[in-house]
Amino acid sequence: MAGPLIETKLHVPRRRRALVPRPRLEERLGRVTESALTLVSAPAGFGKTTVLTQWLSAPAEGRSVAWLSLDERDDDPMVFWTYVVAAVRTAVPEAAAGALALLQSAQPSPDAVLATLANDLSATAGHLVLVLDDFHVIESPEVLDGLAFLLEHLPPQVHPVIAGRADPALHLARWRAGGDLLEIRAADLRFTAGEAATYLNGAMGLALTADDVAALEGRTEGWIAALQLAALSMQGRDDVAGFIGGFAGDDRYVVDYLVEEVLQRQPGDVRGFLLQTSVLGRLTGPLCDAVTGGDGGQATLEALDRGNLFLVPLDDRRRWYRYHHLFADVLQVHLRAERPDVVPDLHRRASAWFERSGDHVEAVEHALAGGDPARAADLVEPALPALLRARQEATVRRWLEALPDEVIRVRPVLGVAYAGALMVRGEVEGVEARLQDAERWLETTTASPPGTAPGAEMVVVDDAGFRRLPSAIAMYRAGQALLRGDVAGTVAHARTALDLATDDDHLGRGGPAGLLGLAYWTSGDLEAGHRWYAEAAAALERGGYLSDVTGCAIALADIRTTQGRLGDALRTYEQALQLVTPGTGAVLRGAADMHVGIAAVLLERGDLEGARRHLATSSDLGEHADMPQNPYRSRVVTARLREAEGDLHGALALLDEAQRRYVGDYFPEVRPVAALRARTLARHGRWVDAVSWAEERGLSVDDDLDHLREFEYVTLARALVARYAAEGADHMVSGALALLQRLVLAAEQGGRTGSVLDVLVVQALAHGARGDRPAALAALRRALTLAERQGHVRLLVDEGVLLADPLRAVAVEGPASGSARHLLAAMGTGEGARPPRPHLVDPLSPRELEVLRMLGTDLDGPDIARRLFVSVNTVRTHTKHVYAKLGVTNRRAAVRRGAELGLLSPAREGAAAAVVADR
Amino acid sequence: MTEQPRIGPSDPSRYEIRLGGRLDPRWATWFDGMTLDQAEDGSTVLTGAALDQAALHGVLRKVRDLGLPLIAVTPLDPDRPHTPGDGPRRPSKDVP
Repeated sequence: MAGPLIETKLHVPRRRRALVPRPRLEERLGRVTESALTLVSAPAGFGKTTVLTQWLSAPAEGRSVAWLSLDERDDDPMVFWTYVVAAVRTAVPEAAAGALALLQSAQPSPDAVLATLANDLSATAGHLVLVLDDFHVIESPEVLDGLAFLLEHLPPQVHPVIAGRADPALHLARWRAGGDLLEIRAADLRFTAGEAATYLNGAMGLALTADDVAALEGRTEGWIAALQLAALSMQGRDDVAGFIGGFAGDDRYVVDYLVEEVLQRQPGDVRGFLLQTSVLGRLTGPLCDAVTGGDGGQATLEALDRGNLFLVPLDDRRRWYRYHHLFADVLQVHLRAERPDVVPDLHRRASAWFERSGDHVEAVEHALAGGDPARAADLVEPALPALLRARQEATVRRWLEALPDEVIRVRPVLGVAYAGALMVRGEVEGVEARLQDAERWLETTTASPPGTAPGAEMVVVDDAGFRRLPSAIAMYRAGQALLRGDVAGTVAHARTALDLATDDDHLGRGGPAGLLGLAYWTSGDLEAGHRWYAEAAAALERGGYLSDVTGCAIALADIRTTQGRLGDALRTYEQALQLVTPGTGAVLRGAADMHVGIAAVLLERGDLEGARRHLATSSDLGEHADMPQNPYRSRVVTARLREAEGDLHGALALLDEAQRRYVGDYFPEVRPVAALRARTLARHGRWVDAVSWAEERGLSVDDDLDHLREFEYVTLARALVARYAAEGADHMVSGALALLQRLVLAAEQGGRTGSVLDVLVVQALAHGARGDRPAALAALRRALTLAERQGHVRLLVDEGVLLADPLRAVAVEGPASGSARHLLAAMGTGEGARPPRPHLVDPLSPRELEVLRMLGTDLDGPDIARRLFVSVNTVRTHTKHVYAKLGVTNRRAAVRRGAELGLLSPAREGAAAAVVADR
Repeated sequence: MTEQPRIGPSDPSRYEIRLGGRLDPRWATWFDGMTLDQAEDGSTVLTGAALDQAALHGVLRKVRDLGLPLIAVTPLDPDRPHTPGDGPRRPSKDVP
């Protein structure tokens, strides 16, 4: 996290004096360690924090406490989780080591931190109570989603307590229904008449009558903050009855009425101090002095603390305090009503003090609150690199949005940062305008270029950032060109960006190199695409942007897969995986994607078990270790695994889900999920759905070809072959064959060997369907030769029955026969590839094949003889020959061996005959 | 059933926000210049310029932070006529 950690936020607030014992609440809180989640939810001033500290101050065996007091600045995932990890480590120093290592890594991601944190916490011994106080300041969906994930994955010994003024946006109903939620709400927290009496007469020593107590309790409705204020107003007052009468008879907002009473009773200097310092979220002596211009800040704070004036000590040494929120708000209203003119000045002084003490975040907040955006901008600019590197994008966004346009316009570094923030969110509008605003300053040496106010002067605080601007502007232009589909523009701008970037600007080199990779890949120059992506990955690795390296690895492996180079794709994934699993127990974002990529290669190679294992590892890491594309990619690979396992229904359901979760992340969509789905349907004879997909996509066999849509056109041909197989319309398959011929030439020219293989398989099917056996076998032999080199298996095996037929023919003899048997074995078992078996020197005759298939049934010798219209002796002779040719000595072994060679399935009867016919 | 005026997420609308208890007029600045009026029943009514949803939630958060009871939030939309629909509802013949 950029900026120092504020230690005081991690302290359990000190227990105050003069407490009212609240056994009924402490008893309920005793159930925290039996509950999965505790909610303390009530408006300000109901004593939420007090009751928790009161309960925690009583010692409990085997219980440790992690406390975090939240404020508005924590509404950013990186900041929030950094504090949560820090809080956990105050309680259990050895816990959350992995999460801490991750936070301290070059480029942490909140999501990966969470997954690691949940894992680390499971090793905690004893009960850990994790209090998140003032949780109502958290509104960011990213933080809430993360918390929901953490709550789901917390081990049973960790007990989160969420305290705040509003119920958090979590699925509370589910926890409630499961009996896992302990709730303490306003009705529980309010003082009963008895507690009010104990407080007013006991703790505050007011000696009030029962009627007086009842009147106060009634007027305040048990609201503790109001009763405290009332007690303060009555202390040392002669006419207590008169005060109570006036208060009870008034209908003004209770707190307003009482704060006014309290303020009136303070000496002038104390009153002034309270009003002036009410703008501060945290108070300490020197800061108060800076804001008030006085010098007794620390002494005044201590006096206020002793007088119980709504000051909450934040540490044990009484250096930092804060006002009770309710009290601070009312003080600020009084301040604004009485001295509206001084408010900006107070904030300005606070901002300057925080800047001096190195807290830039707080300095920016006060500058913004004081209505001094120029000062805020001056502070934001130098803080940007650290914030962006720490991925505190939410904070950066909030600040930039809070700054007026005219302030950003004269600050080119901020303007370009704004453009970058917009592009991260995928927004195009407004980006170019920001870039142009910044560029004007780069082009003119004179003041006030067109579009700025006359006399306006450029402001640059971060000189290094300013020097990087020309490169950064060109890079964002390249990104925009790519979004528009303008490849030439992307290349031109990205090259400019590279030329302008300095050697040590790793992000400035990696970004444009990656864009060049995308541009060349998109335009069909795969080798250039690969080269630039490799360069991008190297630069990003040097800069420590390891998760981004995995993003490059996906592109590199995709390119290699299209080129048919499975081995290279696998190595790319494995190397990147090592980078993001550095061995400290921490797992960086992108690790899940690498496991999915490895699973895809293993699956294609027929190693179903390996693919299963890597997919399981990926899903164990959780979606928090994902880069943006993984939700869809992992489903596509799992769908292919299901199909290989014979679960077509499951495969289709996963593909539907993949389509919904599709995120392209600027990648060309070379294997659209809808086309994968159509291909699967076509393979399983559902040609109507597959053909209607092609119609929806407007695909026709006569279209001009484009490498980006290659997979779709091969799928169209596959769908037509399926239709022909079912309907026999000849023109369909001839159109498909012509298309395939063009596709194979284009793929060969583009060096897309993986695509060539894809086309050849469909060609073999198309020729086979037409009965052109020699052409089918020629295509298949070519396919097998290619497949053997890199170990492709599923591309052919997934075709099942239709391809088994020609495969058997090829398996018998000649080139690629070993490879064909290997694939047939994979088909026969539905499992991964096995080592190729020695082929039959002497193939079975048609009669012997028939006998072999019947040996695989329950039929006995005489039954088989009857079915074949031969004598039992003839069957015996056939059986002996079968045994000899298969190299076995009994019926069971013969059947097993026959299955391995794919000779047994009834669906392959024709195939078995074909083996013979082709000899 | 009367129809509520339809307000989209980006449509600014004027609102009347009713709070339990009497709030001093000095709170107007706290609520970004909204007008505070005392109703006869002892509640306070906040009105002001048109607010979009984000701004409305900002005001409501301030209400929450003061612990003031929130009684009602009513959109004021004098320009837009109420959707006709006062008569008894009849099933449409077009709907199967």
